[in-house]
Amino acid sequence: MLVLSRQRNESIVIGDNIIVTVVDIRGDKVRLGIEAPSEIPVHRKEVYEAIKRENLRAAQLDPADTHPLTEGASPEPPGPANASA
Amino acid sequence: MWITSTRFGPIQFEPDDVIRFPEGILGLPDCREWLLLADERNPTVAWLQSVDRPEVALCVVSPRRFVPNYQVRLPRRDVQPLELDNLDAAEVLVIVSRSAGYITLNLKAPLILNLQRGLGRQVVCYGDQPIQYVVASLGAALRKSA
Repeated sequence: MLVLSRQRNESIVIGDNIIVTVVDIRGDKVRLGIEAPSEIPVHRKEVYEAIKRENLRAAQLDPADTHPLTEGASPEPPGPANASA
Repeated sequence: MWITSTRFGPIQFEPDDVIRFPEGILGLPDCREWLLLADERNPTVAWLQSVDRPEVALCVVSPRRFVPNYQVRLPRRDVQPLELDNLDAAEVLVIVSRSAGYITLNLKAPLILNLQRGLGRQVVCYGDQPIQYVVASLGAALRKSA
């Protein structure tokens, strides 16, 4: 892995069109500003990994699994509380 | 044109039917071209069938049917590649999955489609939207008849 030291308001350039700037540093938290073309998706890695896992799980779904949805289209779902991710 | 889907058998389609996801879908980067199919046995859901991989299909629903106050909050840059004339023209769908006996919806990463242009993109919403929002129990139908 390439490791570079940067101070606040300094940037790195990736390729011709991606700029990552250190916007703020507070304690163990770094805020980054990212300028990239809109066709390049930018995600927090843990969110990216979770969505990837969920997509792959969803791709295993069988049409028969969806039967509870035909009658279960209630806005107040049963089952466990829907905790936020 | 034809593909033979593992779930739905042979499907005939026209080039205009294809919805392109230029960046693929997270975890499925090689699946760029999809068909949106109605489910004849279940009108509540539809399926995005991969043209590239016949064994890959994602069940999708319109989220407002299950979550009436669902709102997609996004950085504007995320919808720019969809070439939407206005945001009202966007079709929002969420992916259905199953987890531990429950049917869940991924409200965190909906699919935004521009059906006129045949373009789609999976986006990641701001805020605390769940990746697995429970909408039904897989055992529900059995319990009802018991």
